[in-house]
Amino acid sequence: MSRELLKISGLHAAVEGKEILHGIDLEIKPGEIHAVMGPNGAGKSTLSAVLAGKPQYTVTEGSIEFLGRDLLAMSPEQRSWAGIFLSFQYPIEIPGVSITSFMKTAINSKRAAEGLEPLKGADFLKLMREKMAFVKMKPEFAKREVNVGFSGGEKKRNEIFQMAMLDPVLSILDETDSGLDVDALKIVAEGVNALRSPSKSAIIITHYQKLLDYVEPDVVHVLKAGKIVRTGGREIVDIIETQGFDSF
Amino acid sequence: MPGHYIDVPVSGTAVTDSLRKVFILRPGDSAQDISIEARAGSVTDITLVILPGVSADLTVNVDFTGEGASLRLAGLYVCGSSEKVSVRTVVRHRVPFCTSDQIFTGIAGGTSRVSFNGTIIVAPGAQKTEAYQQSRNILLSRDAKVSTEPQLEIYADDVKCSHGATAGSLSEDELFYMRSRGIPESEAKVLQLISFLSPVLASLPDPDAVASELEAAIRSIVQR
Ligand SMILES: Nc1ncnc2c1ncn2[C@@H]1O[C@H](COP(=O)(O)OP(=O)(O)OP(=O)(O)O)[C@@H](O)[C@H]1O
Ligand SMILES: [Mg+2]
Repeated sequence: MSRELLKISGLHAAVEGKEILHGIDLEIKPGEIHAVMGPNGAGKSTLSAVLAGKPQYTVTEGSIEFLGRDLLAMSPEQRSWAGIFLSFQYPIEIPGVSITSFMKTAINSKRAAEGLEPLKGADFLKLMREKMAFVKMKPEFAKREVNVGFSGGEKKRNEIFQMAMLDPVLSILDETDSGLDVDALKIVAEGVNALRSPSKSAIIITHYQKLLDYVEPDVVHVLKAGKIVRTGGREIVDIIETQGFDSF
Repeated sequence: MPGHYIDVPVSGTAVTDSLRKVFILRPGDSAQDISIEARAGSVTDITLVILPGVSADLTVNVDFTGEGASLRLAGLYVCGSSEKVSVRTVVRHRVPFCTSDQIFTGIAGGTSRVSFNGTIIVAPGAQKTEAYQQSRNILLSRDAKVSTEPQLEIYADDVKCSHGATAGSLSEDELFYMRSRGIPESEAKVLQLISFLSPVLASLPDPDAVASELEAAIRSIVQR
């Protein structure tokens, strides 16, 4: 049997001394897509920040295993090298750093960690062009400062572009679909579906069923007040859609 | 301290690229005061780069003695340990129609002490003077200190003068974002610091040469 790609056990996490996650258990097998839904302030972004290793978040109890490794012992960059990718709910602006040099540094850092030579300039540019075309990002974005002056939708598209560049094993999409027009939503869905493989998984945090129409989730979780209160299949999305979160 | 005088060539009313110079202070170099007489129509562009391991105490004096002259004065520093850097500038606008633009920017780590004391004097009658001064700093440690003391003495009424100072720290959010893409923490800091200095770097005559030296300097203090 396939063992878990990700195994979260009894996870408690706090930020600024305040406990937000009160015991999360979650197992994801290779190839699975999990949706996480829940009301505002439930702790969804906190969970994704903890998975990506945001230093301000402290895990007070519990464990996380990723591909059999102790994820909590790894730095954010090590997690990225191991194949974790977080699409930020609110992508960060990096003034003075172009998308090209940002991605080049990112890709070559991973290669260095794997003992590989930096990617040749021409190969890197080819990869950039290919992935930018895939997310329908205009070529002039390559020179722009990361997320600076981007519209909300452009920022999300840039997240999916980075995801496509880094080819992660576990993609965590934190409300990547919020604020997107229909076309952009389809691009996000295509981005996730393109990465689908028997060995890769995704966690999709969303408030809407729309994205889940394009990316069929295997498992749906309801996260409420720092706990997973319900786990099931696609039918949960319909319950939320008609009855909200009160019934959970 | 040894004095150092640079005479800015005069060329009547013609605008000339009178002086464009970058001084780089490396460990072991001794800081020299700089005095400049900016004569009519001259264009002066001076950059002072202070690398890690350098303690310096120096004064830059600029006298505008002829109309229509301009000055750009940039100071870039990177301190990573216990350096003491003190830079004073005294810019005297004695005559009308001159422009001075000063920027002092850098990164202070370790227990370094950095001070920038910029005096602008606009003499009576020096109308249409434009004199600007700003100081932008990043503190890498709690024990580093940066102080900025602007001093404006303005005796003419038709002038534009301003000054401003900021002292910030590295953005945790930017660092985490970069690290989440696989950029190691130290490299993420280097990227952020270089981009902080880039507005001044970009205006240098040979930005690449200075940039690579600064980048190496920044890398050395970040990885400490
Ligand atoms: N840095 C912080 N300091 C204090 N409280 C925080 C911090 N970060 C998050 N919280 C709190 O933790 C709780 C969970 O926040 P989180 O962002 O994880 O919610 P969410 O489920 O992602 O909500 P949304 O659907 O609105 O994005 C909220 O009550 C929030 O105010
Ligand atoms: Mg959120």
